[in-house]
Amino acid sequence: MNEPVLVLDRLKKTFGDFTAVHELSLAVPRGSVYGFLGPNGAGKTTTIRMTLAIYEPTAGSISILGRPSALEVRDRIGYLPEEKGLYKKMTGREIIAYFASLKGMKRAAARARAGELLDKYGLGEFKDRKCEALSKGMGQKVQVLASIAHRPEFVILDEPFSGLDPVNQQVLEQVIRDLRNDGTTIIFSTHIMEHAERLCDRLVLIAKGRKLFDGTVAEARRTIPRRLIIQTQVDPSALQHVAGVGAVHAIGKDDKYEVTLTEGANADHVLAACFQNGISLRSFDRSEPTLRDVFLKFVGAEDAEEEVVS
Amino acid sequence: MRNALLVAAREYGENVRTKGFWIGICIFPILIMLGIKAEGWLEGVKPTRNFVVVDQSGRFDAAIATALERTYERAVASELQKYVKKHGAEMPAPSAEALEKQKAIDPADFDVEYVSESEAKSKVSLLLLTGGIKPNSPPFEGPRRPFRRVDLPADVDGTKAPAEIAEALRPYLRGKKKIRVEDADAELFAALILPADVDERIQRPGAKRKKRADREGAQFWSTNLADGDLREELERAINEEQRRVEYESKGLDAATIEKVQQTKVPVARFDPKKEAGAEEVSIADQIRQWAPVGFVYLLWISIFSIASMLLNNTIEEKSNRLIEVLLSSVTSSELMMGKLAGIAAVGLTMLVSWLGFLVLILKLNSGPEAQVATSLLEVLQTSGLLPAFVVYFVLGYLLYGALFLALGSVCNTLKEAQNMMQPVMLIMIVPLMTMMFIPKDPNGIVATVLSWIPIYTPFVMMNRAAASPPMFEIVGTTILLTATVVFTLWLAGRIFRIGVLRTGQPPKLIELVRWLRQ
Repeated sequence: MNEPVLVLDRLKKTFGDFTAVHELSLAVPRGSVYGFLGPNGAGKTTTIRMTLAIYEPTAGSISILGRPSALEVRDRIGYLPEEKGLYKKMTGREIIAYFASLKGMKRAAARARAGELLDKYGLGEFKDRKCEALSKGMGQKVQVLASIAHRPEFVILDEPFSGLDPVNQQVLEQVIRDLRNDGTTIIFSTHIMEHAERLCDRLVLIAKGRKLFDGTVAEARRTIPRRLIIQTQVDPSALQHVAGVGAVHAIGKDDKYEVTLTEGANADHVLAACFQNGISLRSFDRSEPTLRDVFLKFVGAEDAEEEVVS
Repeated sequence: MRNALLVAAREYGENVRTKGFWIGICIFPILIMLGIKAEGWLEGVKPTRNFVVVDQSGRFDAAIATALERTYERAVASELQKYVKKHGAEMPAPSAEALEKQKAIDPADFDVEYVSESEAKSKVSLLLLTGGIKPNSPPFEGPRRPFRRVDLPADVDGTKAPAEIAEALRPYLRGKKKIRVEDADAELFAALILPADVDERIQRPGAKRKKRADREGAQFWSTNLADGDLREELERAINEEQRRVEYESKGLDAATIEKVQQTKVPVARFDPKKEAGAEEVSIADQIRQWAPVGFVYLLWISIFSIASMLLNNTIEEKSNRLIEVLLSSVTSSELMMGKLAGIAAVGLTMLVSWLGFLVLILKLNSGPEAQVATSLLEVLQTSGLLPAFVVYFVLGYLLYGALFLALGSVCNTLKEAQNMMQPVMLIMIVPLMTMMFIPKDPNGIVATVLSWIPIYTPFVMMNRAAASPPMFEIVGTTILLTATVVFTLWLAGRIFRIGVLRTGQPPKLIELVRWLRQ
């Protein structure tokens, strides 16, 4: 039961002279939500395509649901590709039923399941509308539902959130939570850290085809030294001498300062020190580092900024 | 296998729900119906042509009038036959009285070559009396007259020189001035001017060739060069009259000569390939000779229209990346086979309905008077053309379908595909160009050579089907074609597998070769 759903061992893919994925190894535990994070061109989609046997790896090996190739277990996998598209002339219900039947469901059952899913995720009244008449967000939801309609035990979603408005992003998060509650293993790739933060149990961070980090969210946070963000109009450099404080430096223009803490330090002491030193605070933020900070740390501010903004 | 069928079912379902499909289904019977009926309709809507005759020689006026009347009477006679056929009733068991009346009517009366309108009407009323025509039939009407001779407009002097008359008539002929006919304005269609000295301009065998200007015996003026019926009619009338005069001047009896001219030795055509006793060439045989041309055309149209459906929807799936989801569910060969089969089913549905309509229309229109339709039907039912058509359709479709699929898989947009299609189109056009002359020499060198080129085999062999090409060629070319189809499918499968996931520029030929080696 605890055997990983997916194991990649030194997976490599080259296109001509270009190496898209460098010897990537990872293991996705059963029942987990696993985030694939990284800027565009990091090799996420290529890795996913190799996982699904759409691309042949140049080197390395894959074990998916205990088999060397996804082709053997196709029907137990659900996949949402990065670029989204639908058959324009088919209705949402038909498309979901079609893909579910390609995954081995009986046609009548697939049709019933399609209706059920559309009702459940707020598309009931658009069930029989042709896809060319659906909005982009609705179309994308239809596609997500098409990838999970056959109740796969392993779902791979490539950039499922891109192009969705906040309301639909929440619906999609709900879909993912529902899947996890049913025991489904989920991989999703994204460069929006907030989703990863809320949903992932584990994550892998990839850039330029190389794995930079692999572990739980908590482990990811721990890669960044603990710090406080304070906002004050008084120079807070006096804090540098407080026990447990590593460094103090200004960030941004809004009188904000980052105070890094050493291992085992207590933030309350820093707060007390502020009062003692007459540093009047406008804000005192002791929140944990976010995945965005982790991302920035690994990928580099320049690369990441571009990604996060887009 | 199940997946390929699912793919096929989706392709079929999607394509038969398009408007284009139904337009395609309907357009064919409509075209056939038009083809059958159009001639009649066109005749019906053609206006009566008004023309003037200026006969300065005074010799042809009467002859022209007689000839036109003759033509009209012939039309009346054929109309009469149609009328009797349409409204004629089964003769009731003849009572003595009716029998007496019937004697007055000779059935042969209705099978005449010429009849005047009034005479036709009286025949019909007689028939009505004896119950030979259904009681509530509409009265008989003669057909519309195609030509009407009108008087010269008042402002044109018919005694002037031909050139001046022509000049004066010019505005009328060009539609700038109208003539008055039965108190309404009408257009003048044509003018025939016969100069006084027409005798001196007559061409006789052995005589020295006249100067160009002197060769203009009569002048026919009209802005419409396409509709030659009136000109032919007038020319024949003038020349018959002229010959009659010449016979008489040579002391020959014109009436006798006319009779003599109508005698003929019928030449029947025989085909030595047919069995003894049945060598005579019938209309059905001629149709059998030419029907393949129609089939070649049908084959060409249907193969390419549905093969391009394949191209289009492969590009659709590729451009919206559905292909990835598909390939995570089915293998590329399942996908390809499914698409080929689904679209083939669309094409077959269309063809079967077309052929069904064709047979239906021919059945409805066949009968003793519609020999062509009847014979065509007979040919369709008895010859091997239909089975041959189906076989060549399937093989041809698989060949071109596979090519188009491969083409579609390497293109990202329709525009790219169209660019790549251009050379293909040039190659494909060949069977259409040779279509018409292959039946004239169906087993000749061109036909034979083309038959052995697999991409042309379906069309050219269909073209030759009526001429019973050597069995060796039929079997040989079919085997070669089948082998090519298998090879092309394999080839297309490899290109398809790599091509569908590729984005960016279509590959160069050298890259394609590399894909095939992989």
